[in-house]
Amino acid sequence: MQRHLLRRRALLASAGLAAAAPALAACGPDITSGDDSGESNILKAPDKREGEITIWDRSGDLFEVFEGVIADFNAVYPDIKVNHVAVDIDAKLQNTLITGADVPDGVFLDDAKIGGYTDYLWDLSEVLAPYAGDIAQQKIDVNTVDGAIYGVPYDLNPGLLFYNATALEAAGVDAAAIETYDDLLEAARQYKAAVPDAGPIHLEQSAFLGQLQLEMYANQLGTSIADADGQLRLDSPEYLRILEFLDTVRTEGLGTRAEYLTPTDVAEMDNGNQVFYPWAIWFSFAPQQMLTETSGDWRAMPLPAWDADGARSGAMGGSSFVLPKDGANADLAWLFYEFLMFDEVGYTAVWGPNDTYPTGLNTSIPAYEPAADPAAPLFEPVEALGGQDLWAVATEAGAQIPGGTPTPSWWDGAVDYLGNDIQRMLDGDMTPEEVIDSSTEQIQTNLVDRQ
Amino acid sequence: MTATAKPERRTRPRIGSHVFLMLLLVAFLAPVAWALVSAFKPAGDIVSSPLTFDPSEFTLDNYRAMFQDVPIGQGFFNTAVVLVFKGAITMFFAPLAAYAFAKYRFAGQNLVFGAVLITLMLPTIVLIIPLLLEMKALGWVNTYQALILPGAVDAFAIFWMRQVISAVPDELLDAARVDGCGEFGIFWRVIVPVIRPGLAGLGVLTIMNIYNDFVWPVVVASDERMATLQVVLSTLAQNITGNRIGADYATVTGELLAASSVALIPLLVLFISLQRHFINGILAGSVKG
Amino acid sequence: MTAVTAARSAGTNRKRRAGASGVRRRLAPYVFVLPFVAIFLAFSVYPLFYTARLSFTNWRGTGAAEWVGWENYTYLLTSPAFWSSLGNSATLWLLIIPAQLVLGVLVAVLLNSATLKLRGLYRVGFIVPFVTPLVAVAQIWVVLFDRDYGAVNALLGLVGLPDVGWLTTSAWAKPTLALLFLWKTTGFIVIILLSGLQSINGSIYEAAAIDGASKPRQLWSITVPLLRRTIMFAVVLQTLAVFQMFAEPFVVTQGGPYNSTTTAGYYLYNHITRADLGTGAANSFLLVILVMVLSLMFVRMLRAKD
Repeated sequence: MQRHLLRRRALLASAGLAAAAPALAACGPDITSGDDSGESNILKAPDKREGEITIWDRSGDLFEVFEGVIADFNAVYPDIKVNHVAVDIDAKLQNTLITGADVPDGVFLDDAKIGGYTDYLWDLSEVLAPYAGDIAQQKIDVNTVDGAIYGVPYDLNPGLLFYNATALEAAGVDAAAIETYDDLLEAARQYKAAVPDAGPIHLEQSAFLGQLQLEMYANQLGTSIADADGQLRLDSPEYLRILEFLDTVRTEGLGTRAEYLTPTDVAEMDNGNQVFYPWAIWFSFAPQQMLTETSGDWRAMPLPAWDADGARSGAMGGSSFVLPKDGANADLAWLFYEFLMFDEVGYTAVWGPNDTYPTGLNTSIPAYEPAADPAAPLFEPVEALGGQDLWAVATEAGAQIPGGTPTPSWWDGAVDYLGNDIQRMLDGDMTPEEVIDSSTEQIQTNLVDRQ
Repeated sequence: MTATAKPERRTRPRIGSHVFLMLLLVAFLAPVAWALVSAFKPAGDIVSSPLTFDPSEFTLDNYRAMFQDVPIGQGFFNTAVVLVFKGAITMFFAPLAAYAFAKYRFAGQNLVFGAVLITLMLPTIVLIIPLLLEMKALGWVNTYQALILPGAVDAFAIFWMRQVISAVPDELLDAARVDGCGEFGIFWRVIVPVIRPGLAGLGVLTIMNIYNDFVWPVVVASDERMATLQVVLSTLAQNITGNRIGADYATVTGELLAASSVALIPLLVLFISLQRHFINGILAGSVKG
Repeated sequence: MTAVTAARSAGTNRKRRAGASGVRRRLAPYVFVLPFVAIFLAFSVYPLFYTARLSFTNWRGTGAAEWVGWENYTYLLTSPAFWSSLGNSATLWLLIIPAQLVLGVLVAVLLNSATLKLRGLYRVGFIVPFVTPLVAVAQIWVVLFDRDYGAVNALLGLVGLPDVGWLTTSAWAKPTLALLFLWKTTGFIVIILLSGLQSINGSIYEAAAIDGASKPRQLWSITVPLLRRTIMFAVVLQTLAVFQMFAEPFVVTQGGPYNSTTTAGYYLYNHITRADLGTGAANSFLLVILVMVLSLMFVRMLRAKD
């Protein structure tokens, strides 16, 4: 019996310990220290051009692509050694920045995540000044917080309307006539009349990607979840309009509900049920790698407009390169990114034919406008899109993307509310108005107010 | 030790037991078998037709791509280093401390054991940032000691070993004292042999935990040269779990299954060889009542 | 039974009497725990205090930390999301623990039999899921439990059952996750129970067999009572694991659909990835208190039956 008493005493002692911990703790973050706002956060171009830089990228195809550019970079800057590493950025970056231990000089980062890290990053407005006028406005905007630019814009991801041209033609639907979302609904109805089993338009079932797609539509209408001051602006006619469009697709049975490129999604495309896919340019990966039956049948066009003369595209996703202040040679890393993004040799090596992609990298286009010239394609026509010149479609759509706003640091967190509520609406459990009211309140309480 | 425990004496065929165990075994092994087999399928097929296997399509491409893309050899080496040192520290110091907790009374015993219980109940994820700040202050980021020392004598090992050692009759210890055994001698010559099955269990668990731990290594070993096997795996997997955008989903899945197979095999071999150790432990460890 | 209890308390008495002898004997425990305590203080207790202090601040990892008192705790305690994360974990607990104990005891007892054939195969086989890296398991689960193409629904289809949205409906996501956890950790529970079984003296069974007790009866009235400490130990352990569970939902469901698999541990993790370190710390201490209360309850149950 004694043993149990001992265990009980130990448990009680541990309870006491927990209660006493705050009083005992002489450690922890310095509560009185101010921030070091006196220092300049503006990165200057380096004087010397030698040293070693550590660059973080996600593993996978892009890592290979960037790896291939290092030799070209070293041809121009022979004394800068690039230590290029593939890391789990999502898992590691926050901890590394908070602790300031072994901080890399440059990191590949989703645009949506930049807002959360600005305290740790160099303001690049001075080094970017010569190029800023030539960079897609949307990319400058998402990287700008309080007048400072925190990322070297990498890619632009214009939203496009991917469609199965062969299936539509067989059903007698003229895809070329689609100019507005009303036209899209009409085309979907026609297709459905011809193919009764069809759910012509993709309805995204992943809460995260559904919210990302919502922001694409919103960007097209010139708005976003929060304004430049971080104030929520979900409760607006624009958002209501988008949600009502999605709700119409659902109620009229015009949609196929699936998660992006999961087996179900792929099968519904391959069997001709799902023929419209409004998505970012990176969907082009699907006909090239995932679709078996209908690869070659698909084409891309700019998104329909919300109003007759409205913008025909909006951005969905995208990444930039950030330079942490604690990196030892961030200024040299800037030279690397400058070469990669703004030097013809650099951007040609990224998007043009390379070892990883023999016909070029066609899942995004450069954010730097001189590189994104519709008349001077970097990647080749896409076989899986019936040899279509995706470059011309994407760059012309990209030029129409309205400006944006910095993505709030809590954007990912909003998926728990807005992303989920969109799904509830697609389940038929919420109206568009309810989505807006509920999400606005939850995001305000749990995210905006707790910043 | 001849009066070995024989809980089941009758030897009539136990068909029912075998059917039950076999069905369960199939359920337990099928998913892993699926992964091992699928790693030899073309990457696209793994996702699009997961349940078929066409031997004529047998390919080593996933393995080839994986060995080319990720530093899995370095991962194995680093994991082995951590395994040897961290494992040795745990396997020696945890039972030793647990012995003190179970069989002695000393000042501060309850306080320390209470603290052990708290850390056992505390989700480890919350300690990562404080620990990382500590590693930075010590200058240990990207070092083997950072991978080895934190958690080397973890609360669970203490808790479990204390439990196991408590069950050893005090008569055995007293008898050893009468025979002139020192305090450490009792631990080494009496406790350790008697609790060998428990130690084997702890060994299994320790190896497992160290081998498969990824949360801490991912954050503390940012340098590729320090990446353990699981860091390599999780770097691959992030393309699937974290963010599917633009990632070559099928290729990564193929590489991940190949890498997982490669990671699993040493552990399996180890356990099959430890199996004998288990049984020996059972025979040697049975205590006369 | 009575004989065993008597022997145990006699041992305890003798230990108490012998406790006063020898300086070496009094110093020994300090030497034995010293290496552990050193490592423990440096890498567990220090971060623990640090975290405790963080829980009263709004520190986000950079700049100054502001002392906010109990604000983080009151936010959590009044947040429906916090309570629903606890509810999700409690549901998972109910789905996992009873099933795991029944399965674990059955398998352990069968495997403990010295005459069982293929014992080695079973022992290794059951531990395989436990040693498989979680990142691989996650992929396996996603593919096997796919609504339209998964093997599980294909099997259900063979016997005429309808497809189930295992991972895509909030009703089924928790059972699917529970199944993963059961599959992954039952082998480990079997090991623990086996180590407990090995300390049971075989002669008790011989006596019972002579008395004519059937196998199931022996299991229920001899094995289970003698194994009670080990079983409780497993329950406490798995309770900790279930309430801290985060990697499984993280890799398989990302907490969805509709946060139905946002476990207590995953909810906590969300604060930390959003750099809300103070709330994360407060959340973890609330979990500690909860788990402590549960553990005390189990210990009390164990004692009441002794």
